[in-house]
Amino acid sequence: MQKRQAKERILIVDDSEMNRSILADMLSDEFETEEAEDGEAALAVLAGGADRFSLVLLDIVMPKADGFAVLAEMKKRGMMEDLPVIMVSSETASEQIERAYELGATDFIMRPFDASIVHRRVLNTIFLYAKQRKLVGIIEEQIREKEQNSSDMVDILSHIVEFRNGESGLHIRHVRALTAFLLRRLIKKTDRYPVSEQDIPVISMASALHDIGKIGIDDKILNKPGKLTEEEYGVMKTHSMIGANMLQELSVNGGNPIVRYAYEISRWHHERWDGSGYPDGLKGDDIPISAQIVAIADVYDALTSKRVYKPAFSHGEAMKMILSGQCGAFNPLLLECLSEDFGGIRQALAASGAETAAEDIKRRLGPLPSARQAASDRTLKLLDYERMKFNFFAELSEEIQFEYTAADDLFKLSPWGAKKLGVPQEVVNPAADPALKEAFGVSGWFKKFESLIQKTSPASPEFKHECELPIGGARRWYNIFIRVFYSDAGAAEGVIGKIMDVHDTHLAMSELKEKSIRDPLTGLLNREGAAEELKHKFNNFPAHKYAVAVFDVDKFKNVNDENGHMFGDRVLKEVSERLVHGTRVHDVCARIGGDEFLIVFDYVTELRPIIARVFKTICGEVDGCEVTVSMGVAEMTESGQTYEELFKLADAALYAAKEAGRGAYVFASDIKNIVPHGGQTEGGE
Amino acid sequence: MNLEECYLKLGGDYAGVVGRLRSERLVQKFLLKFPQDGSYRLLLKSVGEGNAAEAFRAAHTIKGMCQNLGFTALEKSSSALTEALRGGSLAECGKYLPAVRADYERTAGAIAEFEKSLQG
Repeated sequence: MQKRQAKERILIVDDSEMNRSILADMLSDEFETEEAEDGEAALAVLAGGADRFSLVLLDIVMPKADGFAVLAEMKKRGMMEDLPVIMVSSETASEQIERAYELGATDFIMRPFDASIVHRRVLNTIFLYAKQRKLVGIIEEQIREKEQNSSDMVDILSHIVEFRNGESGLHIRHVRALTAFLLRRLIKKTDRYPVSEQDIPVISMASALHDIGKIGIDDKILNKPGKLTEEEYGVMKTHSMIGANMLQELSVNGGNPIVRYAYEISRWHHERWDGSGYPDGLKGDDIPISAQIVAIADVYDALTSKRVYKPAFSHGEAMKMILSGQCGAFNPLLLECLSEDFGGIRQALAASGAETAAEDIKRRLGPLPSARQAASDRTLKLLDYERMKFNFFAELSEEIQFEYTAADDLFKLSPWGAKKLGVPQEVVNPAADPALKEAFGVSGWFKKFESLIQKTSPASPEFKHECELPIGGARRWYNIFIRVFYSDAGAAEGVIGKIMDVHDTHLAMSELKEKSIRDPLTGLLNREGAAEELKHKFNNFPAHKYAVAVFDVDKFKNVNDENGHMFGDRVLKEVSERLVHGTRVHDVCARIGGDEFLIVFDYVTELRPIIARVFKTICGEVDGCEVTVSMGVAEMTESGQTYEELFKLADAALYAAKEAGRGAYVFASDIKNIVPHGGQTEGGE
Repeated sequence: MNLEECYLKLGGDYAGVVGRLRSERLVQKFLLKFPQDGSYRLLLKSVGEGNAAEAFRAAHTIKGMCQNLGFTALEKSSSALTEALRGGSLAECGKYLPAVRADYERTAGAIAEFEKSLQG
């Protein structure tokens, strides 16, 4: 496998030393470079190990062998598959460019070249090829890991193909079953082939990899709904060789018999008995028997299964088509094996319907329509990587992350979360679990959890909730985020979420909020704070009796002018203190303007004695200065009156009190034809 | 004489080459290497020996280097010569070679002067 740590190596072929060194300089930061001064030298370098290089930059006009000759020779030696070539030339004639592409060049850079363009093209090309090599590497790694359990490995690999080309897993299982069936019959018939009973499981397992090379075929061609063009079909046909190449790299490392058989099968399962197949046009028993069997099993299952483009043919119809040569030529002995025991075939295919481990996992995951497509590129290694990354960040985030699936009634926690709560990572039937109940410190926590789920809907599946929880004994504030997964029918099937400790932030926020709604001088609520508080009161306790009183300090402007602002502030503070003393906790007191105050009474029986008492408390001497106030009061006379309405009435009554000579309180209900004012009074007149 | 003045003198595109190679240091490095390249001598030798194919390759190489280095004047004349030689005949050579010779000398002269000013 190509290791990322090693610098990719580029071969620069140009007869001009200067041109080579310009290119080498442009690329030297990121790549190793090697140079060759003409085509012959280049071919000699490549003969010494083409796989050392990730890319060739190739000039056209050179002594000895020119660029075209190099391309042709590389193609002949089969180097072009893995080693991209970018032509670098000042040739501008389109037939020259055309010819280079025809010979397999990947790209063409025209002189004079721009450092950034060279750089970009080189990188793009290397990445493109690196991806292909990476796929090989991924499979190699998977196989090494799973060597102990080859069956799992084969399942996984064949599912990669299946994911990618939307083929049913059934096809692969059928081919396996048919391969085993045909082998068994063949061994009974003849000892012409070097296979025995004990090879049957190995070969049939390897058969699952017959289309592994499709990993290397472009998605667009692989999953094209319509008929392939001739060119596309040509690309499609390369899958047998791609698969063989992948498997060959594997067999070098250990020579696992499954891999060896898989190589034969992948490479030659489209060969035909009469030599009309591909890629090598092998004929008769030059085709390994494993590949011959898989070829016929592949065709038979394709015919007898339903496909988007065709119905399922019966055994009889399929046999007729195969025997008449419509599907290519096959070994007569194998045709015999296939046609003489329909009952055996039916039995073998039925038995193959049992789920494999990988199938089972897939079924449990349920249909993932978008993941299905995506899985083609991600492959297993990337999934592993994602999982590792996820765990790493989960650990760092110090959040309790959880997952709940309704079908299994299973509650899962991140490792950090489980540790924090002191419970196992997986809890079945969480509602009744004593450890979870103790951890959350709330009885019926699961009911509350369910009520959060009910706040979501398929259209808006996320919900955020802030609450206090006594996790680990101490009550702290937490944010709970959840994301609910709904079925197509709209049922909540699962939830993921996290619980974040936001206690410190919460306290800081409450402090800030408290500051924003309080008057800094008197500590009373300000106008906004009062409005907020009253909205809350009126909404939550609509049945209570409310009265609004508005008052200001008589001749406050004079007090200020005569004694200074410091003294004015002193008066306001004193009035505020008296106000707080004179009212009860559930009354709301606020300073809503310079010397203007508001009281909202939440009273039970008689209002007037309360007002009389409060008024008396507020008025009185402050440091030798007599302070009086004028007050307007409006009580609720009918239900449904809003705070704003009461305020306007009280404000109008305040005016009436001032008109009457100040130092008194007036009830709005005592004034005939009261005209509510705009709601603002000029303070401190 | 600075690098830009040298380009002016040899009839080159200074802004273009700095834009492409992204570094004055690189431009200077390759410019100073140019006179050491054997292609021009090879061109003259091949023409003298009547070897049209070799002459074509040499002219082509000169053209390519000039493109990379932004030596506009020499690129034009060597390009014309390259096309004249492409057919494998030296018949047209006499028509184009003098211009290449003049431009090469002008280029090499400017570079020599620049190199001198570096040492001085």
